Amino acid sequence: MMDTLWNWCCDVLSNPTWFYLLTTVLKLVLVFAVILAFVVVSVWIERRVAGWIQDRPGPNRAGLPLFLLNRFGSKEKQPLKETLHFFGCSQDGWVARLCRWLRFDREIPTFGLMQPALDGGKLFLKQEITPSYVRKFYFILAPMLVLGPPLVAAAVIPFSSSVSTAFGDISMCVANLNIGPLWVFAVSGLSVYGLTLAGWSSNSKYPFLGGMRATAQLISYEVAMGLSIIPLLMMFGTLNLQDIVQSQAADGWTLLPLWGQGLSLQRWLLFIPLFLSFIMFTTCIFAEANRTPFDMAECETDLVGGYHTEYSSMKFASFFMGEYAAMVIGSAMVVTLFLGGWSIGFGADAALASCCEWLAVLCQFIVFLLKLLAFIFFFVWVRWTLPRFRWDQVMRLCWLVFIELAVANIFLTAAILYFVK
Amino acid sequence: MLYSAISAVLFYVFAFAALLCAVGVVAFRNPVSSALSMALCFGFTSAIFFNLGATFLGISQIIVYAGAILVLFLFIIMMLDVKSEEERGVSSFVSTVVGVVVAGVFAGLMVKAVEALPGSKGGRCPVHVLVESSGELCVGEEAEAAAQMPKLQPYGGALPALQLPEKSSDTALLGNTLFSRYSIPFVLLSFALLAGSAGAVAVGRKLRKD
Repeated sequence: MMDTLWNWCCDVLSNPTWFYLLTTVLKLVLVFAVILAFVVVSVWIERRVAGWIQDRPGPNRAGLPLFLLNRFGSKEKQPLKETLHFFGCSQDGWVARLCRWLRFDREIPTFGLMQPALDGGKLFLKQEITPSYVRKFYFILAPMLVLGPPLVAAAVIPFSSSVSTAFGDISMCVANLNIGPLWVFAVSGLSVYGLTLAGWSSNSKYPFLGGMRATAQLISYEVAMGLSIIPLLMMFGTLNLQDIVQSQAADGWTLLPLWGQGLSLQRWLLFIPLFLSFIMFTTCIFAEANRTPFDMAECETDLVGGYHTEYSSMKFASFFMGEYAAMVIGSAMVVTLFLGGWSIGFGADAALASCCEWLAVLCQFIVFLLKLLAFIFFFVWVRWTLPRFRWDQVMRLCWLVFIELAVANIFLTAAILYFVK
Repeated sequence: MLYSAISAVLFYVFAFAALLCAVGVVAFRNPVSSALSMALCFGFTSAIFFNLGATFLGISQIIVYAGAILVLFLFIIMMLDVKSEEERGVSSFVSTVVGVVVAGVFAGLMVKAVEALPGSKGGRCPVHVLVESSGELCVGEEAEAAAQMPKLQPYGGALPALQLPEKSSDTALLGNTLFSRYSIPFVLLSFALLAGSAGAVAVGRKLRKD
């Protein structure tokens, strides 16, 4: 029985069409799950880091409160006391004091990780209000158009290198397109439709202004973002993200050229334009994700809630999740282009791959997730440190500083590539 | 074989959807709906490009048209609050004549283009080919049996997808063509764009009172 099943599996996998289909579906599910999990995790990071930066505890109390369980509620029968008694520890020794300090006597600690789940549950259960004066079709369409594009854009981001199995090679990237960064820009640029339509279909003053601001800001910063990574593409000579990360693994990350070819004079001179383009690209990612120094479209001080003023319940949550998904994708792009993507660095990738390919792929996946987490932390850090800009400052920064600087940067890179061999 | 059959079927799906959206641009009363159906039309057109293996063309279609130009359209429509019923200054007879002439010229152009397509004569139904080539999905002993079946010849219909050599991309191909053979027309066209944007600034700037 098992033999027949095994042979059938082998037969299916040795058909290249089925092999391609099955591996692609598996990768698709993995990427989708990782993005959605990171949306939740980044909400948690946001709350904890905000608390930390503002010198308050943040959501550390959203554990499972034990007093809700009547059986454990009475003072004498606290679970902590019974547990200590069971293990024969004293009721006021250092173990007991440590446990009390960690609040084990009152709740099962979850370090605030329950907070995003409770937030989500709350938004699910809230009453959904659709005002009578909205344009209904577009009002419902808009949140979908905000949440969808970032999830689609994730398809081209490589999360690990490739493995060769008995049936064929698997590249750890859902769609290994030759136009990687362009795909991400194009698809995540489409979410501007969602913001605009949300503002317009709400049929009310402040959402409309928010939608207009979002449109102008996103279109402007998309130009600057596209121009800012051209030096990088000139250096790598390819638009394929998997190839870009592979050459970074071999010859040093874009911002850390410390091994392989990265030690040449040309690479160190190129560090100047590349660092400039890193700063510009990161700023543009902030603007594209509508995060706080640039959240002109939803700033409460001028616009109540911006384009999502009229939304409630899960429709509001879709905007919220779309913003965080855009942040995750933006971080993934910065990590892939500038911080080495999945590469472990210092030549460790090749060494691991020669030892065991599956182990290498697993380690690289973990390294990629860690880099992503670090950059999301940076995102949140900036949000709670810098105050919001004024609208005209945001537009001036893009049109009068970034675009000129990006074009000059392209010429500088070309000169270095041409004259310094 | 299976892939090319699937892409041929998809070509008809995308082309039909794009045509439907193009009709929607004219048919919708609400200008915002028209603009959005134009965006969908661009999306389907770029899907056809992707299907042909011209990924760079497809993605620039989305970035430039759907992502930038059409959003500006939408911006203007919403900003100026364009009403759905606009009075036209031209009489209906003149507009009908002009419309018929323009449509006739385009129809002639399209007939010419369709005749010039490779394999436009003696084509086979792509769905039929798809069904016949589904033997490639068989596994085990059935796969051996299916391999014994006579292979179908390539058929007419949609354009064949771009076959590129290993380690070369259509982006490089396009760039080499555009910046070597067609570099002078390219520069001239960009001057036309520059003139257009200079004109827009000249029209849009505020006149000083002094």
